[in-house]
Amino acid sequence: MNHRGLSVGLLFTLVLGVLGADWRQPPPGEGPDTAPVHQIEGRPCIAVDDLARLLDATKFWRADVRRLVLRSGTHTVVLTADNPFVVVDERTLWLGAPVRSREGELQVPVALVDSLPSDSTLVRLTYDSRRARVVVLPTSGRVESPRWMVQGDLTRIVFPADHADEAVVVARARAHFRLRFGGIFMGELPDEAPPGSHVRAIRSIAASGGSAFECEIASGAAGYRLIQDPARRRVTLEIAGAPADGFEAFAPESPPGERRLKVVVIDPGHGGSDAGVIAGPAVEKDLTLSLAKRVGAEIAQSGVRAVLTRSDDRDLSSEERAEIANRLGADLVLAIHFDGFVDPHARGATAYCPPALVTEPERAGDAGRGADREAAAPAGAPGRVSLLPWRDVSTRHAVQSRAFAEALLSALELSGQGPTRLRERLPYDLLGVNAPGVVLECATLTAPDDRERVMQEEGLKQLAVSIADAVGAYQRNR
Amino acid sequence: MRRVFLGLLVIAVLAWLGWSWTRGRRVAPPPTSGPTDSTAVGVKALRLYFGAANGDSLVTESREILEPSGLHDRVEALVAELDRGPRGRGVAVLPAGTSVLRVFVDDAGLMTLDLSGAFRQRFRGGSSAEYLAIASLMRTIGANVPEAKTVLIICAGRPIPTLGGHLPLDRPLEISDWP
Repeated sequence: MNHRGLSVGLLFTLVLGVLGADWRQPPPGEGPDTAPVHQIEGRPCIAVDDLARLLDATKFWRADVRRLVLRSGTHTVVLTADNPFVVVDERTLWLGAPVRSREGELQVPVALVDSLPSDSTLVRLTYDSRRARVVVLPTSGRVESPRWMVQGDLTRIVFPADHADEAVVVARARAHFRLRFGGIFMGELPDEAPPGSHVRAIRSIAASGGSAFECEIASGAAGYRLIQDPARRRVTLEIAGAPADGFEAFAPESPPGERRLKVVVIDPGHGGSDAGVIAGPAVEKDLTLSLAKRVGAEIAQSGVRAVLTRSDDRDLSSEERAEIANRLGADLVLAIHFDGFVDPHARGATAYCPPALVTEPERAGDAGRGADREAAAPAGAPGRVSLLPWRDVSTRHAVQSRAFAEALLSALELSGQGPTRLRERLPYDLLGVNAPGVVLECATLTAPDDRERVMQEEGLKQLAVSIADAVGAYQRNR
Repeated sequence: MRRVFLGLLVIAVLAWLGWSWTRGRRVAPPPTSGPTDSTAVGVKALRLYFGAANGDSLVTESREILEPSGLHDRVEALVAELDRGPRGRGVAVLPAGTSVLRVFVDDAGLMTLDLSGAFRQRFRGGSSAEYLAIASLMRTIGANVPEAKTVLIICAGRPIPTLGGHLPLDRPLEISDWP
């Protein structure tokens, strides 16, 4: 073959290789990253097919010696039926119990997963005894059993965490104060609070791609502080009994108990000549309408009447939107938007809720309606009449609005649709709205990842489910 | 003997050349221009606020400009520097081409700030872009114009209800509300 022929051949091979390669990334959340663990003769074992799947290994079976070889990259694991020894990269390990064959499949003692090589070419597995599963450790690592202690007027909970810098507070209300970690939780939680603790209880809650905890904070606690210490791989949550520098206040709360929701008004932002943010194929006015319809359908399933301010593509002024909500006597208003920013690094969701412009005694003096009365000062407290422009009427519902915003952001964070941020500022869409309300920027269209997610059917569906969950949490108010 | 003499002569010449060279380096040439005379033109340090790249918050930057002569020049210079954008980290969040048309501060500290039409016409983005554009303006005015307590933003001589449909601008904004 001459040089020209060789060059053409190489080019042809290269093109075929490129065309044949699968460049697609698996969609988020589809990765099968755990496997069940079964008890075989009193020992926890994992089925070898699951092990191969988690390790992305290829299997080679030799029936004559009943030996199975798993190959993943440069690593090999040699398993022999009814033999407690395995060979991992030429190292022989004793598993404490033999590999058993059950229903035509080898069952491997989970002791193996802790003995696998820990380098970047092989996924890290760990045995989660609490959930009875073998888990692929995410890059954020793990979170271990916290230490809970009381020092004077300070309650301290220390979480050992591989990536302490990823810890974040996602809900600030005393009744459901929530912390989120990037790593998965691999420990135990204390059953009881130590005497004098400002934290009454702590429990693990579901979170997408990490772990989360919900704390019940005593009403006497004044503030909290989250200290991330990546060098020592730990996160400390401190709860103080008295106001102190560096401590943040908890979210204002109304008394616990169910909130009756009859009508929820969902306001799809923009519309008609106002397209909102346009980023590539994503047009905000279309996405808000599509999402609002889905949210309405989700909420209606719980027996609450959901009404949209617009159900087609048309112009609607802020006064018209407010009038629809007020005429219906809305118990809750959610204005749906999508964000945009000059830099593509900005991503995530933002909630805007009205700030409290009047003091509690002033609030008590107002002839408040409905849900807002529960946030008012105790009956009989000295009050005085104050005038509030109708434009600012939503500020009378500031406590309820903040609670709804916290519920929304918490639901989004826990389902992996963050990062989230809360801004207490009267939004334009809530001018003249006499109900608790929030403007939610559900994602940032100028961020490529966010845009790709919400442009997919599944992404919008997930958003709608999270928002409906938040409405349910707000309604339960526990 | 003659060889020794010649050797010493060569060493002496080399030593003289070396001394002359190092002396020449030590003696600085006479200055052709002196440092800037700070008394001739006043220089004013400004504190400017730009958007953080992640859209969460503001980042601050110090900059020096020739001292403006009055309130209008001072605010005009601030807005012009915000429009030029950051020299360090951060991003410009004021709509491109925004400039000051008129500015007035009353005795109660209410600043009426009339911005050019570009402020509204060239705004792009969602609520974060809008929030940070206003926050950048408010924080920068708060840091550099202490006599202003509240700011009413108008555009091309007319009141505007909002910049991008997310935050109301129909009323004066308290500078202290934008920490």
